[in-house]
Amino acid sequence: MGDAQRCWEDVAVGDVLDGFSLPLTMTRMALQVSGTQDFYPVHHDRTFAREGGHADIFINTGFIRGALCRLVTDWAGDAGFVKRLGFQMRRPHLLGDTIAVKGRVTRKWRDDAHAAVELDVWIENPRDGVATPGSATVHLPSRSA
Amino acid sequence: MTIAYDIEAVRTMWEGHETELAWGRYPVEHDPIRRYCHMVDDLNPRYLERGECPPVMVDYFASAGAWPPAELDIIGLVRKIPTPGNRLVNLGHEFEWFRTVRVGDRLGAFHRVVSIEQRATRLDPASVWIRTKTTVVDGERRVVAERVNQIMVHQSVEEIARG
Repeated sequence: MGDAQRCWEDVAVGDVLDGFSLPLTMTRMALQVSGTQDFYPVHHDRTFAREGGHADIFINTGFIRGALCRLVTDWAGDAGFVKRLGFQMRRPHLLGDTIAVKGRVTRKWRDDAHAAVELDVWIENPRDGVATPGSATVHLPSRSA
Repeated sequence: MTIAYDIEAVRTMWEGHETELAWGRYPVEHDPIRRYCHMVDDLNPRYLERGECPPVMVDYFASAGAWPPAELDIIGLVRKIPTPGNRLVNLGHEFEWFRTVRVGDRLGAFHRVVSIEQRATRLDPASVWIRTKTTVVDGERRVVAERVNQIMVHQSVEEIARG
């Protein structure tokens, strides 16, 4: 946060979004329920989760997309517009994991209306590696617009 | 349960089903945004100081919320579709945004069942995969965002063991 506005011309394919890490402590799991208002017990009740065949409670969709949104909007700056965000939740991020939220620029292009950048974004954990792969499209300001 | 489950009948009944437009219980508000940002340590002043709604929260504000009891987002719709189990796991999400939303805006949403499939997972050989599309609109009924969600409904370990 607080960097000068990133413009489309500043971006190159291959640029890395360093992102951030979050330890999934029980407090973080409580913040998840508070932040998403998702009270489905598989995300906070360890007995319920195990009865369903899961190894433990795990973070929900709202948390995952909040983390990916933070990654992308921090990178895009105030004038960036997140046009699209998609992701697959292939393996769960469990209580006790420390997740890393990262990204990489894969494509940039212009059309009549926008200067756009495509990103690979993902969340990884030490057990499964990239358990949540995704991608995003961001519209950035252009100095030549 | 698995043998009796008629996926084709369920698909015929539910694929293409669309809900009525329903409005969020409250307009976009600062405090839920603050709690959401707190969850992932997001300090972005766009959201915390300037009243912009994080794009991934538009469906949150288009929903009635968890209390008083109401149909929450797609959960009420998914619960109406017959499935062998009743445990939910979300598997995928695809959002596209068309407008920026701000504190005070009123949002609503309607949902459509895109597809229903039965496909085994590591949790349940009789898992049912339900794909939905949600359209979020603002107070002037302009489309703010579209969201495609993939949810999987499965049985518990005990239910599978019972057969």
